Amino acid sequence: MRAVYAKTELESLLDPESGPWRAQAGESIQLMGTPVGLQPTEAIRVAWMGKTIGAIGSVRVAAIHNGDVLAFRLDWEDPDEDAEVLDNDSFPDAAAISLPAAEDAPMVLMGAAGKPVNVWYWRADEADSARHLTAEGLGTSRTLDVKTVKARGIWKEGRWQVVIAREMNVNTPGAAQITPGSEIGFGVAIWEGSHKERAGIKAFSVDWKQLTIDPTNAGGKA
Amino acid sequence: MEASKRQLAMVMDLNKCIGCQTCTIACKRLWTRDEGMEYMWWNTVNTQPGRGTPRDWEKSGGGFENGVAKPGQLPTRSEFGEAWEYNHKDVFYGGKGKKAHLEIQGEKPEWGPNWDEDQGGGEYPNSYYFYLPRICNHCTHPACLEACPRKAIEKNAENGIVTVNEDSCRGYRFCMEACPYKKIYFNQAAKVAQKCIFCFPRIEQGVANACARQCPGRVRFVGYRDDKNAPIYKLVDKWKVAIPLHPEYGTEPNVFYVPPLAPAAFDENGEIDESRSRIPMEYLESLFGPAVNESLAILKTEMDKSRNGEKSELIDLLIAYKWKDMFGGFDKDPATIEWVKS
Repeated sequence: MRAVYAKTELESLLDPESGPWRAQAGESIQLMGTPVGLQPTEAIRVAWMGKTIGAIGSVRVAAIHNGDVLAFRLDWEDPDEDAEVLDNDSFPDAAAISLPAAEDAPMVLMGAAGKPVNVWYWRADEADSARHLTAEGLGTSRTLDVKTVKARGIWKEGRWQVVIAREMNVNTPGAAQITPGSEIGFGVAIWEGSHKERAGIKAFSVDWKQLTIDPTNAGGKA
Repeated sequence: MEASKRQLAMVMDLNKCIGCQTCTIACKRLWTRDEGMEYMWWNTVNTQPGRGTPRDWEKSGGGFENGVAKPGQLPTRSEFGEAWEYNHKDVFYGGKGKKAHLEIQGEKPEWGPNWDEDQGGGEYPNSYYFYLPRICNHCTHPACLEACPRKAIEKNAENGIVTVNEDSCRGYRFCMEACPYKKIYFNQAAKVAQKCIFCFPRIEQGVANACARQCPGRVRFVGYRDDKNAPIYKLVDKWKVAIPLHPEYGTEPNVFYVPPLAPAAFDENGEIDESRSRIPMEYLESLFGPAVNESLAILKTEMDKSRNGEKSELIDLLIAYKWKDMFGGFDKDPATIEWVKS
């Protein structure tokens, strides 16, 4: 997959329905539920044993960068909009992009000791404060900050369209650094709130997908 | 999880609880007045037998079975009971005199935190009830702590108090499913789990928990479990009259109860039947396990001794002649606390 270079303002990139995104069909990525045996606590394993994990089967992903910011648009079918936590047993929809922050950081295990994964996380009930996370294994995710990652989601006609973006280079230890013209791996995860998915209970893209970051001299073809 | 070096504990004497809810209010005024905490009652007092708070919590799973985590349910806000709004303004300041009376505003609730108060069980003339105050049990084997995928629940290494680290908590609520006592609440405003903190900021300054100190019935003893000169050790380990609630849940609670004594039952002819207790032993066993039999037998023996003019350390302890002796050394005046704003 390509992250297309486009001379676009951040505001426009953050709008999943803006012109630059309309020009990008993106690529459909199959998702799989996280294995119950990998859940970090026994209570979660016994609670989810035999239940379906990963209610969302696929997501369409497109990527654009403007030289400074890399943005992903995720688009998936979801008949239930879970944008608010209405009761103790109600959970929000969420989505995340993960990037290796060290060479050979494992995607399936959300990183490993000394091999962190950098996660850009959007949650429907925290629409204005996407999280910048780091993780070195399942159950170890830690918030780096709530300012660096920008995200915006629109739920319409049974679909979520969510843009998750970040400056390609940031001064945050544990963050992935991205260079135009390079090739990187990325992963994607979706949590379906109506299915009580949260934490490690999610649908994910299993392994790193390749993403070519177009060079900025590619001519701005968007 | 490493075992804590010492363990703070509480003993509640159910024979003295009058269900006045002073403990409940002491806790509420001190800890759960912020936004999102309106429906929270870290301390509850319910009538037994009854459905409890949250409704039917004893049937909602969690804890451990044969040492393995057992799935549990997430209690909803309406099962706990919402914080009702009243027409206080109309009644007290509206100038409506006797025309306005206190009424719940909005949707009429169908459940609340003390909904089945004083209903109890049994058939006349053998009807019965007693009160069961509950806080977080600050368990030795806390199901909440073990369920959390973020390690956001901590058991203090020095005193065994179990707290939620709100900086790590992301509101996933696995702890609420896992706690078999259903003593964890979700704060929708702060998006974190919240629960009884055993008044650790008071404890740290030598002041007993608000629920214990405010209790007009001298029901609650506080202190370190291993303090051999203090009441907890004597009631739990020496005299073996204070026992945990639902030990079969497998979490090893650190709140213990002196079970309720009851008069003898009436038989079909209206005669007193000394062989049966008004509170059926099967019911007490369903709450406290078989240990309740021994506990009540010890209590009766010691009460008889006391009645016969003999000295009983146990009965003297339970009477709590000296109020401050109930607090295991945490007997400083709350007015001495230096509160630090966070």
